[in-house]
Amino acid sequence: MRLQRQEQLTGLLFALPYALGMLVLVILPLLAVWVISGTSWSLLDEPRWVGLNNYQQLLHDPSFYHSLTVTVLFTVGILALNLSSALGLAVLLNQKLRGIALFRTIIFSPVVMPVVAWALVWKFLLQPEGPINQILASAGVRGPNWLFEPSLALWLLVVIEVIKAVGLNTVIFLSALQGVPKEMHEAAMLDGATPVQAFFRISLPLISPTMFLVFIVTLIGALKLFTPVFVLTGGGPAGATTTLILFMYKQGFSFFEFGYASTVAVVLFVVVLGLTVLQWNLRKRLVFYEN
Amino acid sequence: MRTNLYWHLLLVAILLLVSVPFVVPIAWMFLSSFKTGAEIFSNPFQIEFAKLSLDNFREIFVKYPFAHQYLNSLYILAIVIPITTLLSALAGYAFARLRFWGRDVLFILTLGAMMIPSELTAVPQFVLFKNLGAINTHLPVILLQIFSATGALAVFLMRQHFITLPKELEEAGRVDGLSHWGVYWYIMLPLSRPALVTVAIFAMLNSWNDYFNPLIYLNSEPKLTLPLALQRFTDPLGGVFWNLTLAGSTLVAIPILLLFLLAQRQFVASLASSGMKG
Repeated sequence: MRLQRQEQLTGLLFALPYALGMLVLVILPLLAVWVISGTSWSLLDEPRWVGLNNYQQLLHDPSFYHSLTVTVLFTVGILALNLSSALGLAVLLNQKLRGIALFRTIIFSPVVMPVVAWALVWKFLLQPEGPINQILASAGVRGPNWLFEPSLALWLLVVIEVIKAVGLNTVIFLSALQGVPKEMHEAAMLDGATPVQAFFRISLPLISPTMFLVFIVTLIGALKLFTPVFVLTGGGPAGATTTLILFMYKQGFSFFEFGYASTVAVVLFVVVLGLTVLQWNLRKRLVFYEN
Repeated sequence: MRTNLYWHLLLVAILLLVSVPFVVPIAWMFLSSFKTGAEIFSNPFQIEFAKLSLDNFREIFVKYPFAHQYLNSLYILAIVIPITTLLSALAGYAFARLRFWGRDVLFILTLGAMMIPSELTAVPQFVLFKNLGAINTHLPVILLQIFSATGALAVFLMRQHFITLPKELEEAGRVDGLSHWGVYWYIMLPLSRPALVTVAIFAMLNSWNDYFNPLIYLNSEPKLTLPLALQRFTDPLGGVFWNLTLAGSTLVAIPILLLFLLAQRQFVASLASSGMKG
């Protein structure tokens, strides 16, 4: 009996610092967001209760729909480019070749590169008079002002982000590929399959659980991506790269519309929560091979 | 055999080509740091070793509070890494191996905190810290770094690790008369180095990259941390001094890149485990 009491106490004491910190700094603020979303509140006023007004306003707000569209395009772009590149790179890095590890290091190094440094280097490379346009000029092509072209900026952000992050999914796919039993491949080859057929018929189905999980994790990551977008374009040109999270930031910390910003946060939260629950249910069912 | 050679050559060619977007920006940043502002635009593709100089680095330390800002980032790192690691190990251990009242509720809250993008709770957090008078101090930046999604992930990863340790260790320790704390401190923790390193790497990268919170809470030059400081090498009209910006970026990136090269296996394993373990 005394032993149990001791365990009770120790357990509580061990968990307490984190539990308290998260309660005050994460859980309560999360509940508060729902409450604040029912108020009209700017920095200098007292909050005023307006019920579902903000939600109604949001549903009639063209800039909300615009940023919703931007977010969908951005997320789809990142998913398509990241997953296809990661798979291609993983297949490349899975070849037997002396020195292949060096290429793995190269592909992975942007992952650990500081986010702002990476964004600023690209901002420099894409200057109107910058290196990329100088290369184009030497080929006789007049390069655009990349990040200020509304039709280009969003896709550039996708490309820059994928180059930075794809190394992570690449190594995850690589270890999944290496978990595919060699015998199965050899058996297929003996039955007259080409390497390409063997890949599509055997490796790909076997790593598809991993791919699915990576898909969800990458999707959630893309939804909450803030820093590179903010540094490279600040949401411009003409709002062409204002994703939902930037829209929320602007409402909250440029216009100090706390109530309206919280409404956007609630919408985003519901989306992320749905995806996360999906990820967890999958994670329980899928096994990830680690080498 | 000959086809094999051709295949190898082709493969190397493909790999070299594919490497370009990954390696060139980093190399460019590094090399441009040693050029003058005029040179990085006038001849970006040439490296004249005779002309390379450390002037940019001198200038960012002399004319700008960059040293001060660097120290800000370092001391925040020095607080965030050990506290995150120690506290998350404690909590993770409690969730994994101790039975106590309220454990499951607390653990579910932790999972919740892990999944909420910290940006979404920015408004109430801001109001809270504003009422505490903590605007333009490092307090919110440090606390949110320790207790937000990263911290919750750290707790979760520690729990997943402690679950895997055999029960006999604990029982042996208890029989020898160790308290729960003793078992944890003398037996379990020393067996947890890989997990602790994983958590430390997460804490380090997240703290070093933290942009959103400093953006909201910090507004005076001497308080800024590196990610914000890198955008302050501008003239009054907002034109960017690219030579200084790239030199600063190099100084922010090099320590992390070096650490990565020294402990590559550890970095890759840690980062790959983030969304996949469970």
